[in-house]
Amino acid sequence: MTSSAPTSDFRAFWRSVRANRMALAGLAMLAAALLVAVAAPWLAPYDPEASLRVTIEDVYAPPSAAHWLGTDDGGKDVLSSFLYGARVSLTVGFFASFISVVIGGLIGLTAGYYGGRVDNVLMRFTDIILVIPDLPLTLVLVALTAPSLFNIILVIGIVGWTGTARLVRSQTLAVKERKFVTRARAIGASSPRIIARHILPLVLPLLVVNTVLVISLAILNESTLSFLGLSDPTAVSWGQMLNFAFTRGAMSVGAWWALVPPGFGIVWVVLGCTLLGYGLEQILNPRTQSHHLSAGARMVARLTERLTSQEDRLARPPAPRPPDDLSAAPVLLEVRDLSVEFVSPGAAPARAVEGVSFSLRRGEMLGLVGESGCGKTTLMLSLLRLLPASGRITSGEVLFLGRDLLGLSEGEMQAVRWSELAMVFQGAMNALNPVRTVGDQIGEAIRRHEVVNDAARLDRRVCELLDLVGIAPERRAQYPHQYSGGMRQRAMIAMALACNPQVIMADEPTTALDVMIQAQVLELLASLRRQLGLAVIFVTHDLGVVAEVCDTVLVMYGGVAAESADVDTIYNQPQHPYTQQLLKAFPDVSQVGGRLVSIPGYPPRLNALPPGCRFAPRCPAAFARCHTEPPALHAVARAHTASCHLLDPAEAGRRAGRAA
Amino acid sequence: MKAPILEVRDLRKLFPVGPAQGWGGARPLVRAVDGVSFALERGEVLALAGESGCGKSTLALTLMGLEAADAGAIWFDGQDVTQARGAALKTLRRHVQMVFQDPYESLNPMMTIGEIVAEPLVVHGLAGTAPERQTRVLKALEEAGLKPADHFAGRRPHELSGGQRQRVVIAAALVLEPSVLLADEPVSMLDVSIRAEILNLLSDLRERRGISVLFITHDLSTVAYFADRIAVMYLGRIVEIGPTRAVLRAPQHPYTRALLSVVPVPNPRLRRERVILQGETPNPVRIPPGCRFHPRCPVVTERCRSVDPALTPAADLGHAAACLLLDQA
Repeated sequence: MTSSAPTSDFRAFWRSVRANRMALAGLAMLAAALLVAVAAPWLAPYDPEASLRVTIEDVYAPPSAAHWLGTDDGGKDVLSSFLYGARVSLTVGFFASFISVVIGGLIGLTAGYYGGRVDNVLMRFTDIILVIPDLPLTLVLVALTAPSLFNIILVIGIVGWTGTARLVRSQTLAVKERKFVTRARAIGASSPRIIARHILPLVLPLLVVNTVLVISLAILNESTLSFLGLSDPTAVSWGQMLNFAFTRGAMSVGAWWALVPPGFGIVWVVLGCTLLGYGLEQILNPRTQSHHLSAGARMVARLTERLTSQEDRLARPPAPRPPDDLSAAPVLLEVRDLSVEFVSPGAAPARAVEGVSFSLRRGEMLGLVGESGCGKTTLMLSLLRLLPASGRITSGEVLFLGRDLLGLSEGEMQAVRWSELAMVFQGAMNALNPVRTVGDQIGEAIRRHEVVNDAARLDRRVCELLDLVGIAPERRAQYPHQYSGGMRQRAMIAMALACNPQVIMADEPTTALDVMIQAQVLELLASLRRQLGLAVIFVTHDLGVVAEVCDTVLVMYGGVAAESADVDTIYNQPQHPYTQQLLKAFPDVSQVGGRLVSIPGYPPRLNALPPGCRFAPRCPAAFARCHTEPPALHAVARAHTASCHLLDPAEAGRRAGRAA
Repeated sequence: MKAPILEVRDLRKLFPVGPAQGWGGARPLVRAVDGVSFALERGEVLALAGESGCGKSTLALTLMGLEAADAGAIWFDGQDVTQARGAALKTLRRHVQMVFQDPYESLNPMMTIGEIVAEPLVVHGLAGTAPERQTRVLKALEEAGLKPADHFAGRRPHELSGGQRQRVVIAAALVLEPSVLLADEPVSMLDVSIRAEILNLLSDLRERRGISVLFITHDLSTVAYFADRIAVMYLGRIVEIGPTRAVLRAPQHPYTRALLSVVPVPNPRLRRERVILQGETPNPVRIPPGCRFHPRCPVVTERCRSVDPALTPAADLGHAAACLLLDQA
């Protein structure tokens, strides 16, 4: 495990570099420059050191067969100088940036990790260096020292570390706060170990990206110094060539060939560095890599997809509409056979929602239940047509008061969103803008849908809304960070209510909250429903919460509707094995002792779904048919449906026959 | 009877917050842990319940030596370890391990699972040879329910699900063969179906290894299944402690009663009157005089505003609550 890891890591890294066009182009450009520098003695047609006998025709001679890029003011071959100049420029770039990165990295790590006084002293020192303009400082230092290549490298390196130090410090600060560093301390690891094993590896990607950019800066700096005539005259770099050409009349005689090649060289290397830097940034961020629910087994996914997609459509009967509830309330929202796919290049489409139907009446509270990644949030977002770019609705209807929302233009949809269907998002802190007051944000939600010119009226409405959700109206002038978690969630609900919507979709509104605050928010939603006649879709994985507040329940598994019924039936006569298992796994405070039943395995990957029932691999009651054929939605009783082969009357008959 | 594995006596932890009061004035202090005493017996699971901000996580960090206690004493296995530093602290950390709330954050994304689980062994200089270390790592992974272990050892955290990650955290704690496990909300970030697995795993470990567990949670329903005792914490102090059955069936403190009444019960036929306390845990900078719960208490009396109640024994053996009502009875 330990011996093979580095090589396989490198191989994986190399594979991702090859897949990243930007990094690959940058790498190729830099490799070409490096090759030119190394091979200069063999490539160059002339030795730039050799003494020449120069005639007047040789000065600024235009490109010819003998001199492909013409000659310079001394009659020297520009191509040869250009090739040799790469050596000087790149040497300065690499070594100077090495010095910058080492100094900056050490200072940044130390300041960030130890914090307090150490941080204060180091960072104030960095600030002082930073406020002195780079170029004059470099000029002064170079002018004070003898103009040798070594000194130039040293000066550029010493001047250029401040950016790196600040970058490394802020990254170190961020990494230091993360839980795995606390865990390492709890294990008993020493500071050097924590820095080396836990902080440096996470700072390193940023440092590598930064190094590549520092190289390009160093090369530019060297060019500037040379151009200003402050470098070693014996080591001709690209900057030096530009300097000579400018000061010795290349412009006045129109000898563009003396200026373009060195300029091109500088741009080439800087561009190569930049491309490589950005490419590496994309590659080295570990979060952009695979996720346990998305990647892996791609081949299998594609194959099964091909095998099942066609039969699937044929074999699967259209989902029967759930039987009508007799309650008098009018149906507000009706979703029929809705399917959503996510497409990503190079992978099978993820069938995040498939053939889901449900209806919602005025004043109804529907609980949408399922594990993470079962398509609950996707379903909600698709009702509002707010899916991310990679998602698309492949079939179905979303009827709001009889009108299909999927057929509306974007402008018409805009009018429905928020004023008819509003959403309360998960994670209230992230959904509120931290730099604007809460009242301001609620006011904006109101104004987005109705023109309110009267500031006093708007203010009154904001106060009303805050009062409705149980926040003292005086607190409208405060910022989100001055609110507690529960109050932020209330503010989010106030925003959702801003345009008097008929339906509120609440996506895990209480998940991050304590039980007491959760109870407060649930109570609020229930009272709003009574007061305003709202219909609420409550998305959660918490069965206890659903039992407390909902009227009807839709259980989702792996993107399909597993079971749907009124709340009492779901809890007391669940038919789908998934619902049954989920209920057994839920801890119940009224049951002391005993043991919880866990559901073995994990939810399916949505781009590698099993061919039959999506729950079959984890189902305790699965039989042969479950693994090959997706079950249809069967009506168990009035307003109670479940998609399970066990409920197929034919199956029941077959079983009875076999038993007899 | 042997001494408790972990004992805490009148522990206090204060944090200065905000700017100083006037020139040269003292900074206001948050009394995060304000006089906590309890004992964790060998092989026992003690649940520590309370709302966020009640000081339960600070208590855990102080027990781990990650925060220094300001007053009081921590005894581990019959020794005072309150002021342990250096080598003594390192030894303590071998025996007391912690499982954190967020399995997505508590694993280093750049390390493989094998390296993560091996790290405690390396840090403590145990299991010197690589093969020996490998054996112990695989054994810990298996014990935490990650089978086959060698299939997981080479993977990285982002390839695992939340439940699997939490198992890795538990394996990394187990590899040192600790005697105490501090579990800080180990399941609150996980899906319900996966919670059961982790809770059952912790329960098994207690049975097989005799590990004592201090289980910190805000959700009483998760502890009903396997805690031996429950301690309820409010504003930095334990307000009720007792055997699980007694606390859940006959809660004595009004705060415990309120907390229990809002725990969702997965049965719509059992919808009941809930005692929803308004507001959130008050600011621990200004702890109310008298009983610290009195401003939110539904059964407050005049005496509660001035008298700070001590833990008073209730009917059941080992059951006690800090409420004046208990005094009068």
